[in-house]
Amino acid sequence: MKGKPVLIVDDERNIRLTLSQSLEPLGLEIDTAVNGEEALDKLKERDFGLILLDLKMPGMDGMEVLRQVSEIRPEIRIIIITAHGTIDSAVEAMKLGAVDFIQKPFAPKEIRELVSQVIDREKMDEQKATDYGSCIELAKKCVGDRHFDAAIEHVRKAVSLDPSRPEAFNFLGALLEIRGDHPEALKHYRAAISLDPTYEPARKNLRRATSLEPNGAIILDEVKKQQRREEG
Amino acid sequence: MSPGQRLYIIIVGCGRLGSYLANRLSRDGHSVVVIDIDESAFDALSAEYSGFRVEGDATEFAVLEQAKTDEADLVIATTREDNINLMVAQIAKKLFHVPRVMARVFEPKREEIYRDFGIEAVCPTSISGDIFLRWIEGSSAMDGKGS
Repeated sequence: MKGKPVLIVDDERNIRLTLSQSLEPLGLEIDTAVNGEEALDKLKERDFGLILLDLKMPGMDGMEVLRQVSEIRPEIRIIIITAHGTIDSAVEAMKLGAVDFIQKPFAPKEIRELVSQVIDREKMDEQKATDYGSCIELAKKCVGDRHFDAAIEHVRKAVSLDPSRPEAFNFLGALLEIRGDHPEALKHYRAAISLDPTYEPARKNLRRATSLEPNGAIILDEVKKQQRREEG
Repeated sequence: MSPGQRLYIIIVGCGRLGSYLANRLSRDGHSVVVIDIDESAFDALSAEYSGFRVEGDATEFAVLEQAKTDEADLVIATTREDNINLMVAQIAKKLFHVPRVMARVFEPKREEIYRDFGIEAVCPTSISGDIFLRWIEGSSAMDGKGS
């Protein structure tokens, strides 16, 4: 995927601009589309490796673009751009292989780090996944490939490497929820909360999963952030 | 902060000063977030402004968190209230560890307090006062020469 162009899809000019400018130092070729229709047209012309996709757009929305991309070009990685607050239909997005989210407003460094992370993840394999962070990364790669059972396995490995951290339990909860194993999912969200009562993503997931709207957001983005802090 | 580097800048208050800075810094290619409690304040942003708007009370931790203050290279507090500016600047400095924090302060006596906290403070009152004094001194010196 390294070297392949990146497509930015957002109806807001300032978002396209901020993202393009922030990614410039990575030396990646960047193209933009102002809506879903243009994005799909551009996909026919060029071989993109990564798409940064806004879910809320007039006309064809991001979710529909995601659905079509996952059918015609399942190998393309997707980063979803979200507004502050919950990510609507994130369960569905994850089912379609989108596991990376970036929330507005974004700092240029933050965007570069996430894009690099997604690109570097492609080179990962099981031999290299020997610590907590890389097991989680490998699991995300598997979600990108829609290999959910493999993803579950890698997250379980992360749990066994460090059972005292909430991130993997939360991720596992989300994956089990996707598989339809609701009681097990809740158990894992609760396990994450009991390890760290202040761990917001698991609290939000549990609140959502036990509410009347079970198809709301699965919160994963803060996992990445914590990992980054450790690495930095 | 080398020239040409794109910074992540948070500006608190979108009044005359805040919007002026936001428009200029955004035009210069920085990634800018403006926070204001009043949504209509964002009307002061120009068409060139390509940054973000966050509506909320910047003295609330959650609002600064939403603006991703932990990622900021620079925070500038420009509201009309010295106390709000001081509070926001302190939170940015102490809790979010922002490398550079700047604030406007109207009360000249407070400038010292800001500096003790490691905040770069600008006091328009003392700046305009000094300029006025210089003018007066300059003109009286000239008067002296003329007679």
